[in-house]
This record gives sequence, C-alpha cells and structure tokens, in this order.
Amino acid sequence: MSEAEIVLKAENLRKRYGEHEVLRGISFEVGRGETKIMCGPSGSGKSTALRCLNLLTTPDEGRVWLEGTDVTAPSTDINKIRQKIGFVFQEFNLFNHLNALKNVSIGLEKVRKIGKDEARKIALEQLRRVGLEEHAEKYPAELSGGQKQRVAVARALAMSPVIVFYDEPTSALDPHLIGEVLEVMKELAREKMTSLVVTHEMGFAQSVGDEMMFMVDGRIVERGTPRELISHPQYEVTKSFFERIQELYGSER
Amino acid sequence: MSFWDTFLPSLLQGWLITLAMLALAIPISVTLAISLAIGRVYGKRPVSLLAAGFVGLFRGLPLIVTLLIIFFALPKVGVYFAPFWAAVLGFIFCSGAYQSEYVRAAIRSIDMGQSLAARSLGMSKFREVIHIILPQALIRAFPGISNEIIYLILYSSLAYVVGVSEMFAVSKHFNSLYFRSIEIFSAAAVVYLVMATTASVGFRRLENRLRIPGLEVAR
Repeated sequence: MSEAEIVLKAENLRKRYGEHEVLRGISFEVGRGETKIMCGPSGSGKSTALRCLNLLTTPDEGRVWLEGTDVTAPSTDINKIRQKIGFVFQEFNLFNHLNALKNVSIGLEKVRKIGKDEARKIALEQLRRVGLEEHAEKYPAELSGGQKQRVAVARALAMSPVIVFYDEPTSALDPHLIGEVLEVMKELAREKMTSLVVTHEMGFAQSVGDEMMFMVDGRIVERGTPRELISHPQYEVTKSFFERIQELYGSER
Repeated sequence: MSFWDTFLPSLLQGWLITLAMLALAIPISVTLAISLAIGRVYGKRPVSLLAAGFVGLFRGLPLIVTLLIIFFALPKVGVYFAPFWAAVLGFIFCSGAYQSEYVRAAIRSIDMGQSLAARSLGMSKFREVIHIILPQALIRAFPGISNEIIYLILYSSLAYVVGVSEMFAVSKHFNSLYFRSIEIFSAAAVVYLVMATTASVGFRRLENRLRIPGLEVAR
C-alpha cells in the first residue's frame, strides 16, 4: 500500500493507569476504503486504543497520524482532527436535549459553522441514509436502541469524516435490534467508508472486514483476514475466544 | 383622609420598590449562580476554590446578617451602598450562592458520554459546556432554581433592616402609626402570597414548556 493511501497510522501506542498497563505498544495502519476490525476479550485495551487515536484519552507514548498530520504533535489542533474522525459509541451518547435532526446538525452548525438551513439539509440527508428521516423530530428517549445508534452513525457521517470509529456499536443493543445497525454499517463499508470497528460480531467481520486484529492484554497478538483468523487462529487465547463467541452467538451472524 | 386612603397608595409604592429589587436581583442571581457553578466544576484550582469559598460564605450567613454587614459594616472600611443597592447586592449574593448548588449538582449529573460525544465531534470544552452540558443541566436545575427565586421574593421583605422603603417596611411603619395590625399585615401577606403563587404557577408552566422526553426531573 502506498503512503498516500494510508488514512490512519498508529505507532507504538502505550497507556498505563497506575500499575496497570492498558496499551503495551499498538501499531497499525488503516488504508483508504478499508474496514478494519479490532476484537479481543474485554479489558484487552480495544476501547482505550480507539480513544487514544483521537486523544479522547491521551496516550503516554506513541504517535498517531491522520492523513499524514501528526495528531499527537502538541502544535496540532485536536479539535480540527476530531472533526474528521467519526466516533460511534457503545452507549450511543446522543445529546438528550436535542431531537434526532439536531443531534446530527449540531456539529455542522456549531463546529463547522455551516448555516442553519444547509446544516438541516445535510442532517436530513444523513438521517435518510440510515433510514430514519421520518423520525427526525423525535428525541433520543423516544427512539429504540437500534434507532439511537443509527442516529449516532448519521451524526458521525454528517461531518464528512475521513474515517469512522465504532466502539462496540451493537453491544448495548437488544439482540433483535442489532441487525438494523449492522445493515447500515455494512452498507457504509460497501460504499468504501474507511472504518475501524471494535466488535464481536463475527458475521459482520467476515462479510465486510478487510483485516482483523486480535488484542490481548494491550497488545495486538494476531492479525489477518477475518476468515483466516477465525478459522485458523495461531494462539490458544484467540482460539478459545472465538469458540466462546461461537457458542454465545451461533455461527450464522 | 381615611386610613385606607393613605395606607394603600403607600403599600403600592412599597410594592413597586419590592418589584424593582426583585427585577434586578432575580436575573443577576441566576447568572451569578451559573457562573459560580461553571467555575466550581470546570475552573482551574484557584477559580474553583474562589467560587466554592463564595458559595460557602453566603450559604453560611443568614441573609439578615449579610444585609447588615453590607450596609453597616462595609462603610467602616470605606465601601458605601445606598439602602436599595445594599439590599439588591445581598439578595444576589445569597440567592446566587444557593442556586449555584442546584446548577452544580445538575452539571455533575450529566453523563460523561455527553461530553465524550461533544468532544469527538470537534467541539472545544467551551462549546461543549455551552451547547451540550448547560442546556441539559439547566433543565434539571430548573425546579431548584425556581424554588430559590420564590424564597427570594418572600425574603425581599428583609430589606427593611437596611432602611429600604419596600412593601414590608411600609407595613411596619403604618403599624407603628395606626396599630391596625390585622388589616395592615393581612394586606401585605395577601400581596406576598399572590406574588409567590403567581411565580409558582409561572415556573410550573415554563417547566412544562421546557420539558423534553427523557430529561424530566423525577418528582
């Protein structure tokens, strides 16, 4: 892969909380149009890794580049960088005082300084993209979990990000609501939206993931195509992890 | 001239002064409360300590003592206020300190995820607080703030101790001239009751108007 095609690059990210070293040197790249999957047991540092990439958490060591800009350099305006990174949270984190439309348009209005009417137009387009145009006026409390997460995806997309991070986007959802969110994510992956996805949804990983990274204890211990990794894991931890996931979820999804 | 012919116009005049004090003290105390709360939660250590000290001081003094200090003690160190302004200042400090506790608690109650989502959109801390945290916090703090404002309406009667000719001072004055305590204090009581009730109904309506699904305050 040539240098120009790399959207995000992380080099030797480390983070410790007191005695506990959460990240022990994480390095990887995400190329334009790629969907990268990150998985691993809970506590392995996946979420911390995502948050270190846009400095929601400050890494102790290591560097991150977004389209060649050194994100970790002190001179970099991190608010500018974050506008280009969509972030979808496990707990949705929709703004509770704003309806769906405003949730999507507020970043455009207050951060990108786009006029109200134009922001509204873009927000409606993005809500249509995730199939929620008719719910534009509803508040988060009036939406189902799956709808909330789709609004969160629309909110991320509205900023025209160069990459979208998903932090276990379906883990807080009732089983029957997971499908609608995965459908939206799959569609975006097919449209070549660059993304980095922390998930345990193996069906999703296999259908649209270009590469899968398996994390244990703050390290990426294995990587490969999702199919390779799931069917021929090198390590015992990886193997038993996938076996447990299979047991829990069945193999069809 | 009969008693009522002199008393009622004076009472009305006192009431207008009461209203003038409140018209100044209420909006300024709310603004002060929000500033104090933001200072305490988000301010750097000196700012936060200063705000906490301010709140601690004025929550720790009876309003009557605050008023007496402002009007009688401060002049001894060269700071003079006319009675009206001494009272307004005391009201602002006292009510602002109390209200700020509601705002602070409300800010603290907003889920961390709201902040993470705001920052990940590229909002600065300032924008996050203004556009995301405060609107939600103020909805939650609203019942508490309105309660404090109703107290303030009633406690404005304490301005008589620094010599403001507000409604209660007028009543007291007339009582010492005519000794018609029942009529005089009943009249004042009715006006206070009407003011407090009107405010209460108004706040309830506003609260309903501000209601957002999922952000209701538990009753």
